Amino acid sequence: MTALAKRSEVAATRTASGRDSHRPSSRPDVARWLFFAVFLAITLAIMLPVIIIALTAFKPASEVNAFPPTLFPEQWTLDNFRAIFSELPFGRLIVNSFVFAGGVTVFALAFDSLAAYALARLDFRGSKVLLIVIIATLMIPFQATLIPIYQLVSDLGWVNTFWGLIAPRAADAFGIFFLRQFFLALPRDLDNAARIDGASEWRVFRSVVLPNAVPALLTLGVFTFVNNWNDLLWPLVFTTEQEMGTITSGLTLLTGPGGIIPQGVMMAGALIAVLPLAILFLIVQRRFIESVASTGLK
Amino acid sequence: MTTQHLTKPRGYRPPGQLGGRTPLNGTFARRAAVVGFLAPALIILAVFVGWPMVSALQLSFTDASGFGDPGFVGIDNYVRVFTDANIIRSMGNTALYAVLFTPVAIIVALVLALIVNSPRLPFAGFFRSVLFLPFIVSLAVAAFAWSYLLDPQIGLLNYWLQGAGIRIGNVLQDPLLAMPTVALVAVWKSFGFYMVIFLAGLQEIPTSIYEAAQLDGATGWKRFTNITFPMLSSTMAFVVIVALIAALQAFDQIYVLTGGGPYQSTETIVLQIYQSGFKDLELGFASALSYVLLIVTLLLSLVQFLFFGRRGEDIAS
Amino acid sequence: MKKLTGALAAVAVTAIGLSGCAGTTDAESSGPVSLTFWHGYTEADGGVLDGIVEDFNASQDDITIETETKTWAVIDDTLLPALSSENGPEIVAMTSDRLPVYATRNALVDLDDFYADSASNTEALKPEAVDMVSVDGTKFGVPSGFVPLSVIYNKTLFADAGITTFPTTWDEWVDAAKKLTIDSNGDGTPEQYGMVLPDHATVGNGIWPSLFAGGGGSITSADGTEATIDSPENVDTLTYWADAVRNDLISPTGVDGIGSDELFTAGKAAMEIGGPWMAGVATASDIDYGLAAIPAGPEAQASTAIGISLAITAQADDAKQAAAEKFLAYFNDKATATEWALGSGWPPLRTDVSAADVSANATVASLTEIAPGTLPLLPGVVNSTDVLTAMDTATQKAFAGGDPATLLAEAQASIEDALSK
Repeated sequence: MTALAKRSEVAATRTASGRDSHRPSSRPDVARWLFFAVFLAITLAIMLPVIIIALTAFKPASEVNAFPPTLFPEQWTLDNFRAIFSELPFGRLIVNSFVFAGGVTVFALAFDSLAAYALARLDFRGSKVLLIVIIATLMIPFQATLIPIYQLVSDLGWVNTFWGLIAPRAADAFGIFFLRQFFLALPRDLDNAARIDGASEWRVFRSVVLPNAVPALLTLGVFTFVNNWNDLLWPLVFTTEQEMGTITSGLTLLTGPGGIIPQGVMMAGALIAVLPLAILFLIVQRRFIESVASTGLK
Repeated sequence: MTTQHLTKPRGYRPPGQLGGRTPLNGTFARRAAVVGFLAPALIILAVFVGWPMVSALQLSFTDASGFGDPGFVGIDNYVRVFTDANIIRSMGNTALYAVLFTPVAIIVALVLALIVNSPRLPFAGFFRSVLFLPFIVSLAVAAFAWSYLLDPQIGLLNYWLQGAGIRIGNVLQDPLLAMPTVALVAVWKSFGFYMVIFLAGLQEIPTSIYEAAQLDGATGWKRFTNITFPMLSSTMAFVVIVALIAALQAFDQIYVLTGGGPYQSTETIVLQIYQSGFKDLELGFASALSYVLLIVTLLLSLVQFLFFGRRGEDIAS
Repeated sequence: MKKLTGALAAVAVTAIGLSGCAGTTDAESSGPVSLTFWHGYTEADGGVLDGIVEDFNASQDDITIETETKTWAVIDDTLLPALSSENGPEIVAMTSDRLPVYATRNALVDLDDFYADSASNTEALKPEAVDMVSVDGTKFGVPSGFVPLSVIYNKTLFADAGITTFPTTWDEWVDAAKKLTIDSNGDGTPEQYGMVLPDHATVGNGIWPSLFAGGGGSITSADGTEATIDSPENVDTLTYWADAVRNDLISPTGVDGIGSDELFTAGKAAMEIGGPWMAGVATASDIDYGLAAIPAGPEAQASTAIGISLAITAQADDAKQAAAEKFLAYFNDKATATEWALGSGWPPLRTDVSAADVSANATVASLTEIAPGTLPLLPGVVNSTDVLTAMDTATQKAFAGGDPATLLAEAQASIEDALSK
C-alpha cells in the first residue's frame, strides 16, 4: 500500500475535521458559523410542515381550524394523546408495526443481499437480463397486483397472520438493485484475495463483502423499515381484524363526530408513530457515516 | 462506478488471472453458489410478485370485476387505453408530473446531501436526521400540514404574507398551478430518501482522491465536477431510475392533495388505475392500463441504462 | 382528500335484506349460522347499531352476527379484495353511490323476493329511500340512512349582523349572506364570508343536485338513463349562484366539501350546507350553531339525501342469505327503526314513524320535518363518478368565471357519454 493510501485512512478515521486541519483557523470559523446559521434557517423553513404537525398535536379541537391560524397552541393540551390511547388499542398496534416492519426488514436484508451479491460478484450468464427483469417488477403499480397477491395469500390460509403480512415483502427488487449497485462499487481486491486463499463464495460474502457493506445495509434497512411502517394500503386491505392492524392502518380508523377526522388526534398519533422511526434514523445515521469512514475502502 | 475508478489513485495494479472478473462458468460448486445466493429472493419474488403480475396480465384480456367469472375480451381493454380521452389526458398529466418532479427532487436531494456531508457544517448529524423527517412522517398528516399552510382563506402562509400585501392564490385549485404544487409537495416528501442514497454514495468516495486534488490546487466547483459528480455516477444512475419509476407511479400525494382535480388536471395514470380497479370495479381494464404503464416505464429505463452504459459509468458494468 | 368526502358521506345505517331462498328459515343443523357485518358507523350511531345486532343475536338461537366497525372509506378500499377471496362480510353497509357499482358487478344479492315477502317489514319504508337501493328496477339493499342535507349557521355571526330569522327562499338567503359578508379593508377579499358554497366535491356530492332541484332542474332523468343537466332551469340556477358568488362575494370559490367544513368551523363563513354531523363538529369548535332546511328555490324546496344502505354480499351461501334476510327484516321492524332513528340521530326510514315518535331527540325531530323534500342522489346511476365529475367541472368552472350555458352543455355531453358506457 502506498503512503498516500495510508494517509487517507488516517484522515478518514479522524473524520471531517481532518480535512480542515490544514487551513488557517480564525476566518473560516466565522464563515463556518455563518454557513451554519443560513443553513439552519433554510432547514427550519423546509421543516415548517413538520413543525405544524408537531404543534397541532398539542392544540385543543377548537384551535385546529381556528382563524386566524396560529403556529403555536394558545392552550397546550395533551387531550389528543389521551384520545389516541383510549380510542385505539395503541400498544397492540405498535407491537404489530414492529413485528411487520421489523420482520420484513430482517428477511429483506438477508435475501436481498444474497441476491445482490450473486448479481454483482458471481458473473453468470444472463445476469444482466435477470437484473432488468427484477427491476421491471418495480414498474407495475402495486394497485394492479394487490388483489392477485391478496387472493394468493388467502389461498395459502395466511389472512390475518403475521406470516401472510410479511411474506410478500420478504424480498424486494428495490433492495436487490440498491445493494447490487453498492457491491459493484466495492473494490474486488479484497474478495479476490480471499478467493485465492481458498475461501468459498459464502465465506467471501459473509466475511469480506458484508462487513464492508454495513452502511448500505443500514441505509436499506432504514428505508425498508420506514416504508413498511408507513405503508397503508397493504396492512389495511390485508388485516380485516383491527387487532392485526398496524399503527398506520389503525390511524385511519380514527374518526370524530360524523366521521370527520379529528385532526389534532391524527397529528398526535402521527407524532407517536414517527418517534420510533426518528430515533432509529438518528442512531443509524451516526453509525453508517462512522462505519463508512472507518472501514474506508481498502 | 468501476473498480478502476476507486483504486487507481492508490496505485492499484490489475490483479492476476485468478483475480479478474472471470465468469464463473464451469464447476458445479460455482453454479450451485449462483443458485444458492439467488434462490431465496427469487422464490419470494416469483411467488409474490411474478405470479400476481401474470394474473394481472391474464386479467387484462378479460372484463373481470373481481366477482363472478371473467369473460375474455381480447385486446379491447388495450384499445380503450389508447382511445379513452380521460386516459390519454392522464398520460399527459403523468408525463408533466414526471418532468416537474424528477429533476427537482434529484437536484434538491444532491445539493442537500453535499451540504450535510460537508466537513464544515457543524452538527451535520442533526441536519441529516432532521432533513430525513419529511420522508418518515405519514403522508396523510403531511397533507394536512400543507393545506394548513397553503389554504387561501385560513392558511398560515397567506395570513403571514397579508401584512406584506401578498396573496397566494388557491394554488391547489388552479388548473395551471395545481400540478406544480403537487410536484413540489412530492419533492418535499421524498427528497430525504434520495438525499440519504446520495450520502451513502458520497461516503464511498475515498478521501484520498480529494486530498490528491487539493494538492493539485483544485477547489470547490472543480472538485465537484471532476471528482464528486463522476464518482457518484453509479448512485446517480440508481437514483434517476428509481425516481422516474416513482414519478410515473405518482398516486398517494395527488390522491390526498387534489384527488385529481381541478378539472382532472392532476389525474395521473395510477389514479386512473385505482379508479378503474377499486371504484368502478373494472379489474381487467385497470390491469391493461398497468401493463401499458409498465412497458412505458421499462422503455424509458432501458434508454437510461443505455445512456449510463455508454458513458461507461453504468449500472451494469 | 376525496377519501374524506367518502367518509363524511357516511351518515346513516341500513339493514340488510336478502331473499332468494326465503324458504330455508331453519338454519343448518350443524349449529348457528354466523355472519359478519361491516359498517362504518363510528360514533354513537355505531354503538346503537351494535346494540341492535346484539339484541337480534339474543332474540333467537340460529344466527349470530358479528359486527366490524371501519370507516366508509376503508370499507370501500377493502371490500373488493376481501369479497374476491371470500374473506369479506355477508352483510355490508355502504354509501348509496357505491351500491349500484357493486350491484351491477354481481357482488350483491338481489332482494326483490325479500321485498315481496311481507315478513321483510319493507312495505312501510320511504319510497325515495328504496329508490336509492334500486338498480334497473331490482332492489339490492335496505336503506339504513337517508338524511337530508341541511344548512348549519353560526348564531353569533347572525346576531352580529342583526339577522334574527333564518331565510326560507334563495333571495332572502343571498341577502342574508351579503349582510354577513365583511370586507373591512376593502381589498376585494372578504375577511368573513356570508356562506361557503363549495363548487366541487361537495358534501355527499349533494349540494348542486339540491340547488338544481330547487330551481326545477335535474342531473339525469329519474330512471338514471338520460342526461338532463343542460336545461334552461339549470342555466338559471348556475347563473344565479355564480353571480352571487362572483359579484357579491358571498362565498370563496374553489372550495370543496372538506374545505367548506373547515371554513365554517374556523368562523370564516357564517353558514354552509352540511351533513347533520356538523352539529357535533361545531360543538367541538365552540360554535353556537343552528340547523335549518335549505331555503326554497324558485321551483321547490329540495335537499339531496346522504344515503347508506345495507346489502347482502354474493359471498353468502343460501343459508347465510336466509339468515341475513332475517336480520334485515328485524332491522326494518317499526320498533327497531324507531330505536335506530333515536339512537343514531338520523330521521326515521319508515313513513309510519312520525316526528312525534322521535321527539325525544330534537335533532331527529327537526330533520324529520325537513325530510319530505329529500331526494335520492342519482338513484340507479352506476357510473356516478363520471357523472359527478362532469357536474363538478361545470360548477367549478362557472365559479371561476366560465359561461354557465356553455359549461352545462359540455357537462351534458360528458354525462351522456358516461351513462352510455
